[in-house]
Order: sequence, then C-alpha cells, then structure tokens
Amino acid sequence: MAIIEVNDLYKEYKINQKKEGVLGAIGNIFYPRYISKVAVNKINFSIEEGEAVGYIGANGAGKSTTIKMLTGILTPTSGRVLVNGNIPYKHRVKNNSIIGAVFGQRTQMWWDLPPIETYKLIQKIYDVPKKQFDENLSTFTELLDLKELIKIPVRQLSLGQKMRCEIAAAFIHDPKIVYLDEPTIGLDIMVKDKIRNFIKNINKKRSVTVILTTHDLQDIEEVCKRVIIIDNGQVVYDGKIEEIKNSLGKYRTVHFQVKNCSNNLDNVLDTQKEYLFEVSKSPYDIQVKFDRQKITASEVMNIISPYCDIMDLTIQEPSIESIVRDLYRKQVDNNDFIKENAGNCKY
Amino acid sequence: MLFKYIRLYIEFFKQNIKIMLEYRADFIIGAMASLFMQMSGIFFVWVIFKNVTTLQGWTFYDITLVYGLLMLSKSLNHIFFDNLWVLGPQYIRQGNFDTLLLRPISPLFHLIANRLQQDGIGNFLLGLVITVKSLYELNLNLGIKGVALIILFVVSGGAIFAAINLITATSSFWVVNSYHLIWTVYSVNEFALYPLNIYHKAIGIILTWVIPYAFASFYPANYFIHKGYEQLSFISPIVALVLWVIALRVWRFGIKNYTSTGS
Repeated sequence: MAIIEVNDLYKEYKINQKKEGVLGAIGNIFYPRYISKVAVNKINFSIEEGEAVGYIGANGAGKSTTIKMLTGILTPTSGRVLVNGNIPYKHRVKNNSIIGAVFGQRTQMWWDLPPIETYKLIQKIYDVPKKQFDENLSTFTELLDLKELIKIPVRQLSLGQKMRCEIAAAFIHDPKIVYLDEPTIGLDIMVKDKIRNFIKNINKKRSVTVILTTHDLQDIEEVCKRVIIIDNGQVVYDGKIEEIKNSLGKYRTVHFQVKNCSNNLDNVLDTQKEYLFEVSKSPYDIQVKFDRQKITASEVMNIISPYCDIMDLTIQEPSIESIVRDLYRKQVDNNDFIKENAGNCKY
Repeated sequence: MLFKYIRLYIEFFKQNIKIMLEYRADFIIGAMASLFMQMSGIFFVWVIFKNVTTLQGWTFYDITLVYGLLMLSKSLNHIFFDNLWVLGPQYIRQGNFDTLLLRPISPLFHLIANRLQQDGIGNFLLGLVITVKSLYELNLNLGIKGVALIILFVVSGGAIFAAINLITATSSFWVVNSYHLIWTVYSVNEFALYPLNIYHKAIGIILTWVIPYAFASFYPANYFIHKGYEQLSFISPIVALVLWVIALRVWRFGIKNYTSTGS
C-alpha cells in the first residue's frame, strides 16, 4: 500500500473581499463580503514508501496548500488524505511522530539557543533512543558539515548555515516521510549542493520518503525521480522526471550583449535553424534558444562570435513557470505530449 | 502520557532557563520594572490608610493580604502562561503556529511550554513578601494546613488567570490580533486587588460570576480573616477547574479555524 494517498483533495479559502478606502473599511465591518477561492481542485496521487517526489508549480498554484493538508496543518474542504493509514488532521499526534518538515520561510529551531539544544529537545519530544540519536547526529554533522555550527545560537547563523541545521532537525528523529517546502530558497550554489546531496543520500540509504517543493529545477533533477506538476490547483503532470526533462527542459537561452554586428549574422543563423531558434535580435542584444542535446553553449558562441563582438553573455535555465506554460501549449497541440518529438516544437 | 508531558515540561523549562541566562541584563531590568510598578500600587493603599484606620471594616493588613494573594496568582500566570499573549501576533499572524502543529504533542502544551517569562519572578517575590507580612501582622497562626491551603488557593488563582487568558487569546484564530480583547478582560483583575465590599454590588457580581478574579484574592483571603464569605473560599479550585474545561473547549473550537498563512 502506498504511504501517501490523496483522493479528490479539494480546498477552498474564504476570503473577505475588502473594499477600498476608509469608508469601505468601515462598511466592511458591517457587511463583510466573502468570495471563495479554490486553492486545490480535486487532485489525486499516491506516493510509495521511499520515493523522492518533486512537487512543483508556479507561485500560487496550490503547492503549499497541498503540503499543509498532507501534514495536517490545514483541514481539506473535501476529499481524502491518508498518510501511513492515518488522516493527518485527525490523528495529529500519530501522524506527526512519523514525519519531518522544513518550511524554508520559517524556522523550527529556538531562536536564542544553539541548534544542538533544539535537537536534544526534539529527541525528547519524539522519544528517540539515545544511541540512535547520537548516531544520527554524528552522521548528519559530517554530511552537512555542522560541527562548528551546532553550538552557535541560531540568531547568529547565516541563512545558509541555518538551513543546513534546519534540514538536520527535520531528519534527526528518523521520520518515515519528510516534507521540504522550498528548502533551498535564497541559498548559494555550495549550500544548495550540500543540501541536495544530503537529501539524496538519506533518501537512498534509509528509504525515507521525500516530498520536495522548489522553484529550482536543479533541486528536482538531482534529488527526485518523479515529479508532480500542479497549476491552478490541478495536477497537470505526474510522471518520471526524465520525460519532462527530455521534452522540455533541454532548452537553454543564451543572452549576448553585442557590438558591431555584421549583416551576415542573419544568414548564418538561418543556416543553423535546426539547432538554434532565434528568439530576438536587436543591434546590441541577441537572444538565442538552443537544444543542449544537439549543440553545446560554446558551439553557439563559436557560431556567433566571428560576426559580432560579444561583450557579455548569460545562459538561462528554463523556469518552472515556462515549463508549465509549455506543457499547456503542448497539451493543446497534442494530447499525448510526452511522446511528441520535442524538436518539432514551434516558438 | 501525563508523565511524558511532565518530563517534557522539565526539558522545556531547562531550555528556557538557558535563554534567560543568555539575556542576563534583560532579566534584571524586566524583574525590576514590574516590581516597581507593583510597589506603586501598594504605596497607594498605604497613603489611603495614612488618613483612615479602616475601610468598610477592613484594616490595612486585611487589604494587603487580598493584594498579596492576587499578586501571587497573577505572577504564576505571568511566569508560566505568558505566551498566550502573543498567540495572535507572533504565532498566528506570522504563520509560526504551523510549527506547533507539526509536533507529536499537544499544540497548546507546546505553546505554553515554549516560554518562561522572567518578568513575573519579581512580582512573585514581592507578592510573597506582602502575603507573609500581612499574615504575620494579623497574628494568624496558619499551621501546616493553612500553608497547604494558601498554596492551593494561589495555584487555583493562577489557573483562573490562565484559563481566562486562554479563552480571550483563542479569539486570535478569528481576529488575529486579540491583544485588545485579552487586555480589556485581563484589566478587570485590578478590581480584585481590593476587597469586594468597597465597590458597588455589580462589580462584585462580575468579579464572582462573570470574570471570577475574586476567587484568586478576595474569597481565599476571607478564609483567613473571617469577614463573612468563608464558604465561598473553598470554591476557588472548582472555579479554576470549570474555567479550564470551558477554555479547552473554546481552544479546540478555535484551532479548527486556523487557516495558516500564504506560504
């Protein structure tokens, strides 16, 4: 049986629609007007024990609301969530004892105390045997490089240091499931890398089920095998990450800042149509989209550099928003979008 | 189950002591500030008794006994249940209440255990001094039974304060910032610093049956100084119990209304 089962999950918020101005605010006290907003619209999925699933979508798509219902923080308007056989918001104590969570926006550690004190308190709250706790602590300390950090009060830690400690706090009681909501938000590449490797490692070695929401596609690519994409409260894709990556994530866009462009450039770009999709071109700025399975970034540069002086360049990865957008476009074009050859994509 | 919570409370308590030691200056300033505020109240009573010998049949030390008992009860609430005040602004408004809901323990217990308010310690000590001094000046020989009763009364009083705060603080689940409501109801306790007889009857009724702070001061004091309300003094623990049953119901209803924040 699946460890997480979600059936027709639906959540609607009542929002008090505020009128503008002071008079409006006074009127609002006597005649509050409510509108309902659907955050999660009848979604279904199930997750097996030990899976690492990326749960992605644009801002406001319903990610956090889903996670909050899975953890029991919010009660669904209708539909059902079963986590390890329990209904999270009803059997809170039972459910909470087998889960761990990180919410990137807030801390679960005591602000004025060093992380080690939080860990010890967690040990007491979850009744973790001393031996198991010590083993976990030393493993995590090594993997996340926490040795120097766990004795410094949390308020004195940098964002990256704090997040590493936070991640350890979510795993220290050996949970069966860990929910990570934007764990890498605002962090530099080095820290992101450490955190990804840690999650990957624990997921594999201890078969902890991991559910990860993020805006960083790299997080998903490195940690998860499966991805669920949600938009407007509905699941628009649920499947292997490779398929999504092959069909959509293989494009990159290069921005060139240029000077002294020769007129021949247009002709040259035309001959490379198979690999390059010119997105836009102005005298000082060229944007080129390319298929990174067919051509490398340096080859793209070699094509353009003889005809222009390149002052600066940046390479952009596709954002989750653009992937969701492309998914839609493809679904309209062809319902069976996964099997479609991505090369035929029109831009 | 109960033992687990007691064990856990001790662990939280230890951590809170560590935080207090982190902020030593804060501790001293906080304790002193609340101490001075309370001193001015007792000074006011002293000034009145410079001019009169009794007030509706109550002597100076009769009144300070009432005053001292209320201070003790109030400071217990202040030390141990202070986090209720910030449930709205710090936990619900900012979404930090989520973290409490993710632990395999009662969120209410977690909320209360999360904080130990050092500022109440000064008040507790002052209350203790005033109570002991009053009992001594009134020539009351308490014995072990009397001391045990005083402890029971003070603990009940603290529980009454906490339960009333819990009920008003729970409104945070709907109005988010419940500070004004908590403060308005809490302020009524100022009346309970003095004997009920000196007020209009209506105030006595409110303090006994609506917002029963009088069970934390006036009625327990009557047990020792016999002014005609002895029977009611023993109801204090029952009032505390009933209030907690109501408060927990209200809390359980409120928590269902929690909607978290956007992210």
